Amino acid sequence: MTPTADVIQQVNKLMKTGFEISEDKLVPTATLAGDLGLDSLDAVDMLVYIEETLGVKVEGERLASVKTLQDVYMLASESMPVQPALQV
Amino acid sequence: MRVFITGMGALSSLGNDVESMFDGLKQGKSGIRAYPEWQQYNGLHCHLGAPVPEYDIMKIPRTVRRSMSRMSEMASLATFQALAQADLQPGAGLNSPRVLLMMGSTTGSPHALETYFRKMFEKGGPEGQLSTTFFKVMNHSVAANVAAAIEFNGALLSPSSACSTSTQAMITGWELIKSGMYDIVIAGGADELHYMSAAIFDIVQAASRGYNDRPNEASRPFDKKRDGLVVSEGSGVVVLESERSVNERRARPLAEVLGGAYLCDGTHMSQSSAGTMMNVMRECMSRAGISAESVGYVNAHATATIHGDIEEAKAISGIFGSDVPVSSLKGHLGHSLAACGTLEVIAGIKMMQEKILIPTRNLTEIAEECGGVRLLQEPLSVGINTFLSNNFAFGGMNTCLLVSAAN
Repeated sequence: MTPTADVIQQVNKLMKTGFEISEDKLVPTATLAGDLGLDSLDAVDMLVYIEETLGVKVEGERLASVKTLQDVYMLASESMPVQPALQV
Repeated sequence: MRVFITGMGALSSLGNDVESMFDGLKQGKSGIRAYPEWQQYNGLHCHLGAPVPEYDIMKIPRTVRRSMSRMSEMASLATFQALAQADLQPGAGLNSPRVLLMMGSTTGSPHALETYFRKMFEKGGPEGQLSTTFFKVMNHSVAANVAAAIEFNGALLSPSSACSTSTQAMITGWELIKSGMYDIVIAGGADELHYMSAAIFDIVQAASRGYNDRPNEASRPFDKKRDGLVVSEGSGVVVLESERSVNERRARPLAEVLGGAYLCDGTHMSQSSAGTMMNVMRECMSRAGISAESVGYVNAHATATIHGDIEEAKAISGIFGSDVPVSSLKGHLGHSLAACGTLEVIAGIKMMQEKILIPTRNLTEIAEECGGVRLLQEPLSVGINTFLSNNFAFGGMNTCLLVSAAN
């Protein structure tokens, strides 16, 4: 599934607000650990933010294969909706 | 081994550094304000609090800051201040087995506790919990977060005895330096304002209820019209240092800790008694090796509760009679719980340095039952060499510290 512009925008927004990452670093090829400076605790919080922001249920097991921001966009797009998305 | 104080840091309802806090005390200001939004909480009668002014925490990296509640933020900033005054650099310079960091709070962050359990109940389990929430909830959260903020990897302790927490930290620090175990102890405490903290005292009818529309008149230690305490927040941190380390580093002592004592009441969880308060003051003077005649000022714990103020006045009167000046700072600052011990000792040191004793705010008419001691109602310009500071907490945690000028 190709991430929609809305998903990309919302993921980028939570990256900025949740992890204080500047806009210029938010490119699809950016690696979470290397380029964006996120660690294992951040990864857990990122899933919570995605679930709350997009109203989806993320499969935590998939986290191990998420390496880049593009992977995050894909993860968010492919997760199952469980509730109406919050307006952020 | 003599023990000196070489650094002080403070965030209080009267300002976010030592000088701002003391300026506010000298000007007789109050940090207390109304919280009408607390009316929504069923059964809560006290709608007053004393918040710390806005501060900037962004100098701490996000990966450290993310696990900090407000109390850890304030403690970190106070620690930076204290280290700077002591001319100690955070990081490698502190990482010696001769340095101990000892800080605590009454509980883990009440804000985080509320968030954590509210979500737990809503979700029926841990789903959706942020990874960092527990690090704000755990009992040693303040100590662990301050250690991370100053990149400290030495010995870490986290005392927790509610309103006596930071006094216990200072006393234990004094004991450990005196015993030769450590050369430097960074000691302090912190707590954050939350309606649950006010509720703890409100439930046992120890919080103010009658001044919700007059915050400026609330918190009236020893006053005839006192009706309970007002909870505040903040952090106070001091650097305790051995005489040997002071000499080696050519550090500038601000004051000397002569001695301290903590004794448990052992009879009642909430009702303090003059007898056990006297015991801890006597033990403190005995350990310091000085007599009551040497004490120039008593900083009372007096939180403006009906019962506690009477017992403390009796206890002080029983030891010091009616000659030694006495005041409480809870009328200005509110009751900052785990932070009050260090904040009040810092204020006492400033009083010694500036040769002015701060009176009890809102002490308009001394309650008859609190008589027999020399309660200050006006500032007193006088030089003192030694003061005694009391702090008492739920659970019968009675503590007392003696501090003198750095002669």
